[in-house]
Amino acid sequence: MSKETPLLPISDAREAALFFVVGALCFLAALAALTTRGTYKAAEAWGAQIEGEITVVMRGTDRRTAETVAADVEKLATVFEAELLSRDEIEDLLKPSLGPGGIPDGLPLPLLMSVQADMAVGDPTEGIEAVLDKAGVDGDVAGNAGYADNVRGGLSVLRMVALSVVALLSATAIAVIAFATHAALLARRDIVDVLHLSGAEDRYIARLFERRFWVLALQAGLGGAVAALMVTALIVFSGGSAQGVEAQLLPRLSLDFWDVVIILITPVMAGLAARLAARMTVMNSLKETL
Amino acid sequence: MSRFRPDLSDEPAVRLDGVSLTYERTGEVLSEIDLILRQGSFTFLTGPSGAGKSSLLKLMYLAHAPSRGVIRLFGQQTHDLKRKQLAALRRRIGVVFQEFRLLNHLTAAENVALPLRIEGRKPDSYRAEVADLLRWVGLGERIDAPTPSLSGGEQQRVAIARALINKPDLLIADEPTGNVDPKMGRKILRLFSELNKRVGTTILIATHDLELIREFDAPVLRLSNGMLVRDVEYGRTS
Repeated sequence: MSKETPLLPISDAREAALFFVVGALCFLAALAALTTRGTYKAAEAWGAQIEGEITVVMRGTDRRTAETVAADVEKLATVFEAELLSRDEIEDLLKPSLGPGGIPDGLPLPLLMSVQADMAVGDPTEGIEAVLDKAGVDGDVAGNAGYADNVRGGLSVLRMVALSVVALLSATAIAVIAFATHAALLARRDIVDVLHLSGAEDRYIARLFERRFWVLALQAGLGGAVAALMVTALIVFSGGSAQGVEAQLLPRLSLDFWDVVIILITPVMAGLAARLAARMTVMNSLKETL
Repeated sequence: MSRFRPDLSDEPAVRLDGVSLTYERTGEVLSEIDLILRQGSFTFLTGPSGAGKSSLLKLMYLAHAPSRGVIRLFGQQTHDLKRKQLAALRRRIGVVFQEFRLLNHLTAAENVALPLRIEGRKPDSYRAEVADLLRWVGLGERIDAPTPSLSGGEQQRVAIARALINKPDLLIADEPTGNVDPKMGRKILRLFSELNKRVGTTILIATHDLELIREFDAPVLRLSNGMLVRDVEYGRTS
């Protein structure tokens, strides 16, 4: 009797099954949370990139003047880079519209300048127009603000879906644990009755189940979260080779401080949810007795 | 055995007024029971199988609420008590269940120590007490034995020790000699009698062993078809 034997017998097959279910749910929840965060980061980066991309069309001028304009635009405070596109680059851009035959030699092409700006600091449109006016160049400044709004709208829907998945998985985990607690309570009714009739208060009995499911969910949650971490690491270190537009559309998985926080929080949340579910289930069930 | 807390008021340990119990499936099992058990009394409850002995005891150890009537334990009307107060009242009652109700994953000593554990006491503070009590019931060699390895009689004695360990003010025993040989049955009843005389514990024993009852000079309540045919107060029958 030096060490007290737990009043609830150590696990049986039912608890092993519950361990697996909670672990799997925590794995999915952690993965969904990491993916949601990745989606947020990707959305932020992609939105900022689209919004900061400005195309300037210059007509009726020569390349040398256009290069001077590009150099002056690049000096603007909110502009990272201003680059005059080559004929080949313009042909690439027009290829989807003109087909594989290419651009006829005689076709006059406007000069295009690609400008990368930091829209968070300020919109450089007026500054670019001033540079064009000063150089006497006829040109249009085409921003992506409208397009970016549409993209942002789409991405916010994506974020909501990702958050909903996390919420749904969390709710499922809580429901599963509540059912499991109820089943465990029924299976251990003999023990509960003896404790109850021996003068144990409801809280005393509830605490036994709380402790049991807190530990179970914490261990299962940790297992699930570590599995999610491993899958993420696998994606980051071996699957992050996607390039181009498709790469921009993928969630930006990483392994930084907040990802580790998500991994650590997942089992704690599962444990707390299990504890709460167990407590509520036991207290409600005991209320039916005298 | 020095922790007895006598209620100095004149309240009986148990008082039932017009108590009836009806189960949904089987109908009325107890009908209009009036009963008083004085503090420090030693009483037998007898009657044929199915007469309602176990149901009456369940009402007294607060496993069920009566369908009608009033139960008072140590002067407290149980109907008015909150759950916490009911739990505190249960801790004053030791119960020897007919089916023992031992926890199979615990040892004999751990089963006996259960009420003390519920009170929040640490193993070091009760180890010797538990061992003494197990020796008292003749299980000194089986203290750390796993419960399933104990015979029926041994399990019964563990259940008795568990009911006594926290020195209850009221001891309710449902057929406590049902699984032991007559010699051990007499020994158990003598233990109860000794407890009653030395400590003043109120004792109610349900049994259909009339031969055993005759050996003890104690009042007998008799139940028949859910009715108390001899309404007995301590020391006299009415």
